[in-house]
Amino acid sequence: MVIAQKSDLPQGTLDLLILNVVALGPMHGYAIAQRLRQVSREVVNVTQGTLYPALHRLENRGFLAADWKQSDTGRDAKFYKLTAKGRTHMASEAESWRRLAQAVGAILKTSEGVG
Amino acid sequence: MNWLTRLMRHERLEAQLDAELRDHFERLVLDYVRDGLSEPDARRRARLEFGGLDQVKEVCRDARGTRWFEEFTQDVRYGWRGLMRNRSFAIVAILTLALGVGANTAVFGVINALLLRPLPVPDPTGLISLQRRVGTQAGGNFSYPQVLELSKQGDLFKLLCGFGRDQVTVGPAGAMEPAVVAWVSGHYYDTLGLSPQAGRLLIPADDEPGASPSAVLSDAYWTRRFGRNPGVIGESIQIEGVPVPIVGVSPAGFTGANVGEAVDLTLAIQSRLVVRPDQPFYTGPGARWLRILARPQPDLPQDQLQARAIVVWRQLMEASIRPTTLPEDRRRLMSEELDVLPGRTGTSLVRAEFRFPLQIAMGFVIVVLLIACVNVANLLLARGATRQREIAVRLSIGAGRARIVRQLLTESTLIAVGGMAAGLVVAWIGSRALLTLMAAGRGLEGAGALALNLTPDWMMVAVTILMVGGTTLIFGVAPAWRASRVQPGAAMSASGRVAESHGRLGSSLVIAQVALSLVLVIGAGLFARTLYNLRALDRGFDVTDVLVVGTSAQRAGFTGPKLAAFNSQLLTFIEQVPGVRAASVAAITPLAGGGITQAIAVNGVRTGEGEMHFNSVGPRYFDAMRTPIVAGRDFARGDGPAGPYVAIVNEAFVRQYMTGPPLGQRVSVLGSAREMQVVGVVKDTAYETLREAPPTVYSAHQQRLAAATFVVHAPGATAAVASAIRAEVQSRLGGRLPRISTLTDQLEGSLVLERLLARATLMFGALALALAAVGLYGLTSYWVTSRTREIGVRVALGARTACVLRLVLGDALRMVAFGVAAGLVSAWGLSRLIESMIFGLSATDITTVAFAVIVLVFTGLLAGLIPARRATRIDPHLALRNE
Repeated sequence: MVIAQKSDLPQGTLDLLILNVVALGPMHGYAIAQRLRQVSREVVNVTQGTLYPALHRLENRGFLAADWKQSDTGRDAKFYKLTAKGRTHMASEAESWRRLAQAVGAILKTSEGVG
Repeated sequence: MNWLTRLMRHERLEAQLDAELRDHFERLVLDYVRDGLSEPDARRRARLEFGGLDQVKEVCRDARGTRWFEEFTQDVRYGWRGLMRNRSFAIVAILTLALGVGANTAVFGVINALLLRPLPVPDPTGLISLQRRVGTQAGGNFSYPQVLELSKQGDLFKLLCGFGRDQVTVGPAGAMEPAVVAWVSGHYYDTLGLSPQAGRLLIPADDEPGASPSAVLSDAYWTRRFGRNPGVIGESIQIEGVPVPIVGVSPAGFTGANVGEAVDLTLAIQSRLVVRPDQPFYTGPGARWLRILARPQPDLPQDQLQARAIVVWRQLMEASIRPTTLPEDRRRLMSEELDVLPGRTGTSLVRAEFRFPLQIAMGFVIVVLLIACVNVANLLLARGATRQREIAVRLSIGAGRARIVRQLLTESTLIAVGGMAAGLVVAWIGSRALLTLMAAGRGLEGAGALALNLTPDWMMVAVTILMVGGTTLIFGVAPAWRASRVQPGAAMSASGRVAESHGRLGSSLVIAQVALSLVLVIGAGLFARTLYNLRALDRGFDVTDVLVVGTSAQRAGFTGPKLAAFNSQLLTFIEQVPGVRAASVAAITPLAGGGITQAIAVNGVRTGEGEMHFNSVGPRYFDAMRTPIVAGRDFARGDGPAGPYVAIVNEAFVRQYMTGPPLGQRVSVLGSAREMQVVGVVKDTAYETLREAPPTVYSAHQQRLAAATFVVHAPGATAAVASAIRAEVQSRLGGRLPRISTLTDQLEGSLVLERLLARATLMFGALALALAAVGLYGLTSYWVTSRTREIGVRVALGARTACVLRLVLGDALRMVAFGVAAGLVSAWGLSRLIESMIFGLSATDITTVAFAVIVLVFTGLLAGLIPARRATRIDPHLALRNE
């Protein structure tokens, strides 16, 4: 099993992934981590030490908003949701990510041809 | 959520972070249980995966970006708690600083207002001031014709104005009151660049010959007398009985170009001919009473301006020399130079007067601040030493050294901020007290008293903050650094060695304090004795129970024979008032702050280069002043205009300029044909200042009519006599009140500087002494505490009380001795600086120095005695058990 730590993810990627996950609906930290792992098929496994600072950073920058709600366990949990500002940011980040991925892909394809 | 809210909600955010992470943890555990692990296993595994909860929290806090502030508030809270636990330490430290900072801010506030603050006009740095200088004698004023000539030099000065200050009476008969007026040339307000607050300001046309007078009110006078009523513009006020229309109000905050001497009214110089027709000479070439501010042509470099100003001035002086001018005068005129100086801060007569005393006071308070800092540093050192155990604990559980230094510095910053706040209160009171001391006895009661703007400006704020920042560094860093240099192990086991090293630094600080306060005590002693010497000086007259009465008869229009008749009638009246023993008139009364000097010839021969001091007095003047007549006779009623001209000289004059018996010799004012025969010799008397009794010639008042001030000796009845005279003069002069003061007032008025210096330095010296005593006491009692065990052992081995006392006091006195030695050397080095200000003793006067040394040794003994007595009461059993 390959476990991607924060250091393996390109700079800023974790933020983009979190925003994408939260875009589906309000979610607490544990669920976000779970979802990231499931969707990436266990490739992206973020620890608490990485996840929460990222969440707080995104909240401070106004991309996420937080609500305290009672959750299924009966405890109050902090639910993050995407703000309008976060949505715009996510879109532009996703776009530039896609462009970069395409470019990287194209370059890799050329070098495969040569090889 | 913004940065600030995040700070404010710190507590809640911490709780939320905690809840959030706990929630995550619990869910993880739940998942593991769901995967089939037992609850304890699930928890263990979750904890493993989770890592250090505190580390995660730290990273999250970093993400919040407010960590420095959280640590800072933590430091502040911690420091505050520490100070509260040891309140007496905090109070002593804060009070010490408050006195040090407050005294400095107070003195600096006055210096700032008088010497440094720019005039409240646009572009004050563009102003220059012109001054006449003869040799090293700078600061000379100008005559009105000279101002007019200089203002014509358009290639040098874009704008130039002259101005002078005077006191007038304002109001209708029966309700007259004094007001301060500035007489200004036409371009005054143009040069300063001011615009009116209401109405208009004076323009060049107001200063044309024959222009009718117009008055501009100052903002303060407009408020005080007219309640800021804009309707007064266009109305007239009576100035010296002459109605003058008010044309406008000058801007708020502008009190005139003479700093320290606020004016109420501003009039053009030409108006003086209408308002004060009794003094026409003020617009002539003989009266030099105006100061000059100008704006130079903008493209003219400073050095060229100065060079060309010298040339222009020489031409002006040459043109002013007439064929009749005496050769000495010609030489003196041609030796005059014109200085071009910065005019940013305006001009001021009081500035030159007070500069030196204020500098001395500033020197004193800086030393006081240094001593205060040393005290606080010592307190912190001692505190640091007692807290070494605590610091060692914190170091050993992983606190960084920088963090500890920062913590300790936060504490000293708290003390500094507290000291600054309390110091501002001290400063507010102190600067006003200082101003009162400076203004006292200036002979300008009410209106015209010394007026300085003490409102804090950025300069004051900057200096205070710099001072507090500097002192925090001085007294905070060294103790903090030292305290943090603890070997955790060493400090935990035995504190003896550390205490020893603190003792060495501490005692050198105390020695410095003793040295500094000795210098101040010696200085204060010298100034106090100067004041005492001057007051106690026999200057040939007795000031007790002598009234000095000035009338405004001339201003009320009495001239020539009418004035003489008025004066003689008033004198007759005064002599008959019950309680009057002797009364007379004089042109000049001693110590009034002015005089007449003239070149005199003895038996037709000029008496060398020196100028004689001159006075004109009536019969019984010497009786009223109780000046002994040494030889010959007093002036008599018969010495009138018809009789032979007579004079009385003083002993100094005889000594210096006469040979042979003085009586019968002839003296005359140089250039005058009227020779006076010397009929009497009187004892030497002080003239303008108490510091000297110059050669003086008195003429008979009836033969040489001059201004008349009445001197009245009324033993024990001055108040009643004064009110009788007041009523009489008021009824004769249509409501004008006489100016009545006492000779004692005049004496005190002439001692303003000496009194200021004596009082200020005594106060600051006492402050320094008290602070040094506190320092010595603190260190000695610290010493006793840290050596309780040693003393206990000594007592157990049979040391007697006297022996313990000697041990403790010997240490304290050794420090005093070193301090006194260092202080004597510094005082000797500084003695030359104040030589010019002291009188009747030398700046290294042995009695004063000895007295100061005794005071310090005594203070040192007193400060050491309390801890020493405590040391003698140490119970050896208890002392040994406690260790």
